[in-house]
Amino acid sequence: MADHGILSSLLTTFQPVNFLSCFIGAVVGTLVGVLPGLGPAAAMALVIPLTLKLGPTAGLIMLAGIYYGSMYGGSTTSILVNVPGEPASVVTTIDGYAMARKGRAGAALAVAAIGSFVAGTFSVIALQFFAPLLARSALAFGPAEYFTLTVLGVIMLSNLTGKSRARSLIMIMVGLLLSTVGTDPVGGMERFSFGLEAAQGGVSFIALTTGLFGVAEVFAVMAEGEEQIKLLPVRFRELYPNREEIRRSVAPMARGSVLGFLIGLLPGPAATMASFASYGLERRISKHREEFGKGAIEGVAGPESANNAAAGGAMIPLLSLGLPFTPATAVLLGGMLLHGITPGPFLLRDRPDVFWGVVGSFYLGNMMLLILNLPLVGIFAKIVRVAPKYLMPTVLVLCVIGAYGDNSSLFDVWVMLGAGVVGYVMRKYDYAPAPLIVGLVLGPVMERSLRQALIISKGSLSGLWESPLCIAMWIVILLAAVLPFAMHVVHKSTGTRRNA
Amino acid sequence: MATRKERLSGLVVMLFGAGSLLYNLKYPLDTWGNPGPGVFPLMAGTVLVVLAAWVLGRDILKPASREGGESNAQCTPLKETFRITQGERRIFLMIAVFVLYILMIKWIGFFVSNFFFVILASRLIGARSWGAPVALSAGINLFCYALFDLWLKLSFPRGVLF
Repeated sequence: MADHGILSSLLTTFQPVNFLSCFIGAVVGTLVGVLPGLGPAAAMALVIPLTLKLGPTAGLIMLAGIYYGSMYGGSTTSILVNVPGEPASVVTTIDGYAMARKGRAGAALAVAAIGSFVAGTFSVIALQFFAPLLARSALAFGPAEYFTLTVLGVIMLSNLTGKSRARSLIMIMVGLLLSTVGTDPVGGMERFSFGLEAAQGGVSFIALTTGLFGVAEVFAVMAEGEEQIKLLPVRFRELYPNREEIRRSVAPMARGSVLGFLIGLLPGPAATMASFASYGLERRISKHREEFGKGAIEGVAGPESANNAAAGGAMIPLLSLGLPFTPATAVLLGGMLLHGITPGPFLLRDRPDVFWGVVGSFYLGNMMLLILNLPLVGIFAKIVRVAPKYLMPTVLVLCVIGAYGDNSSLFDVWVMLGAGVVGYVMRKYDYAPAPLIVGLVLGPVMERSLRQALIISKGSLSGLWESPLCIAMWIVILLAAVLPFAMHVVHKSTGTRRNA
Repeated sequence: MATRKERLSGLVVMLFGAGSLLYNLKYPLDTWGNPGPGVFPLMAGTVLVVLAAWVLGRDILKPASREGGESNAQCTPLKETFRITQGERRIFLMIAVFVLYILMIKWIGFFVSNFFFVILASRLIGARSWGAPVALSAGINLFCYALFDLWLKLSFPRGVLF
């Protein structure tokens, strides 16, 4: 294994067939991320037969290219039209779209691309040093640890929007409830589908997000009235981040890279958790806290770096435990099995060429995405300059295609419309939609791990906090839950004393 | 935000949680050693109802805001709370058009209904003429047909016309 370091992984990726596979994967992935209708999982599934002819390393590099290319493409639509392509870019809508509305779409897109590249580089280098060790430690995660981790996620991300913690928690609970629609993950019983065949597969993530973000945004623009919508003139030099924006992005990128990599090592929906956690961290420590939600560059740089670093770090639990947490990674693992490669703790030892080839392709792919996309920033940024009366109908049609294309089901289009109406009402009543997505993503993992942990411990609740890892996480959960209230009480009493 | 609005939103969320708990009675809870499919929705629903009740209670008991907010006694009149703006009227119209559009997809096919939908949506969002929305709609349909139907092979409903 020692001979398979950063150099050998890059050398593997630079072999002509692997290089070309990486390029095709990154381009197709970006298109899939930008355009609705064909999600990364579906695109990867379509490409699998082609990859079988390429061999395992090149084939998997192409599939991985589609995966991270779509992550970048998803961020582009989040910033430009408030429609996140996948869960990890939901948080980018908050400040990325706000920047776009202020005429800084180009800067947001460029920072997202640079941040992704920086974080991708960091995660690849970190993997070289820690992968063997981390592959073993990932095995320490059992159902009880998974459950505790998801509870930790809920608590840590409940202060995401910086508004009311209670309202965010309410939205997370709604997301958790929505995640129970469809087939029960343990026993296979049908729940909350109201006898509708189309609902048996659960609530479509694409339908829900396109509705909550895209359709609701169109409604919000309509409510503002045409006279309120100002199209800001953008000069060429304003398309790219200015010195101040770059200066403010450096530290969030660095923090996002480290945080994202660490979260990526934990089994679970890592990229999503990482982007949300990074946003929360940046909002908490920023000197420009008041700008968050209104177009803070840190709100784009941090999460975009974090989700990319997490995607790199997540290769460890993904490949060593063989447990996918998103449809796209499930297809990636399916592709591995079709290529005769069994994911597991010994993959790194037995097939280092495949492991490091895929990891190296992350780095190369990020470089390709940066080179390909930076010149396109100007073109993308012009999209937001299109008058709403033409842009918004186009967004609606793309949302419909996205929702329909996920399962070829009109039911999902109805779900999207319903989510759009609810999303608009939520905005009006100050409920942010992002925490709902956290609940929807964490729900299935949380439920499955809770029930499995209880089965293993024969119904003893103490099974949920027996291991040292669980104890450590529960302590953090308690601190995270209690500290804000304690601080609030201290601030209140200090204020009262001062007033007196 | 108006106090009445806060209360209303808290109440709606609480009712949603309570409704989900009632519906969840259909599913078995089984035992702690073998938890059934009703356990997790029960837990999430209960936390939701408790949180919503807490938010609602907090809003009801909230004292009058120092910054000119409203007290319990001086709530915005009900009429004002439910006041619908001109923009929101257009949203209602858009929703009606959207519903009609989804219903028509099955009968007259995706592309035909899409053509009319884009024109109407563009007009509702602010287009004053008919020419530009028609051109936009034709362009979008052509793009969607070439990319999604011909190239990506997404199967859209054809309807009775094709």
